[in-house]
Amino acid sequence: MISEIKEKIKLLKDYNKIAKIDKIARRYFVMNTFDGVLAILGVLLGSFIVNSEPRVVISTGIGAGVAMAVSGIWGAYLTERAERDREIKELERATLSRLRETKIGRAANAAVLVIALIDGLAPFLAAIIILAPFLLFSSALSSSQMYIISASMGFGILFMLGVFLGRMSRESILKNGLIMILAGIVSGAVSFLLLGGNAAAARA
Amino acid sequence: MVYDKLMVLDVLKPHEPSILELSKKLSSVAGVGAVDITIVSVDRRVETAKVTIEGGDFQYDKILKVINDYGATVKSIDRVSFGKKLTSP
Repeated sequence: MISEIKEKIKLLKDYNKIAKIDKIARRYFVMNTFDGVLAILGVLLGSFIVNSEPRVVISTGIGAGVAMAVSGIWGAYLTERAERDREIKELERATLSRLRETKIGRAANAAVLVIALIDGLAPFLAAIIILAPFLLFSSALSSSQMYIISASMGFGILFMLGVFLGRMSRESILKNGLIMILAGIVSGAVSFLLLGGNAAAARA
Repeated sequence: MVYDKLMVLDVLKPHEPSILELSKKLSSVAGVGAVDITIVSVDRRVETAKVTIEGGDFQYDKILKVINDYGATVKSIDRVSFGKKLTSP
């Protein structure tokens, strides 16, 4: 069992060398986690403004998360498939041979699958993590506590993404983390300006 | 009697997988004693390599299978030497 897994990992490393999976997967991971966090922070803010019950936050958040997962997997699968097919066709023309049944073809298939999964699961996991306080502690915490913890987790993930980018580019980790957090704040502020007025009017 | 075999192939291959992996894989084919790969020319998408394989009783079919699986094609067999003692070119 363990040797099988080791073999699969070795195979995936080989495929990675051929199809350069990690480079694209990293980009997709950051972009889509970022998307997921901002979307769910938006859901949180919107729910907070109209003072929604926790179960509404959960269903809206999970709904958004599932939609992002499906859109991520589907979209990345199709675009990546098309891109890889084109590359293989060009390479087939250059090498004068069929490549689909070769290591190159198999590496391309693996790349498509891995990238599609990362693209879909990244925003979904981000959504689940942010919604965790609502999912797990809705009986133990007050509504405003849950909102605060959830939002903090969202900003925490944003900061971690910045750290990840900072390490990737070998630049300042703190600067990148803060830029990410700023994105969350900007998104929140714009939503607040758009929604806040209406909500205040509705409450009054 | 033990025979020696030497074969030089002209191979057209994509840049990836590199000759590091190709040589490693070729040397694991049964009967292969030594592998040498030299890049002769590099194009935008492909490169031409001179693949020299030396050993005892290796089968050309198996060599060809490995080369093809790595997305490469044998353009020509440039040299074969076979006997109790290999001749120099």
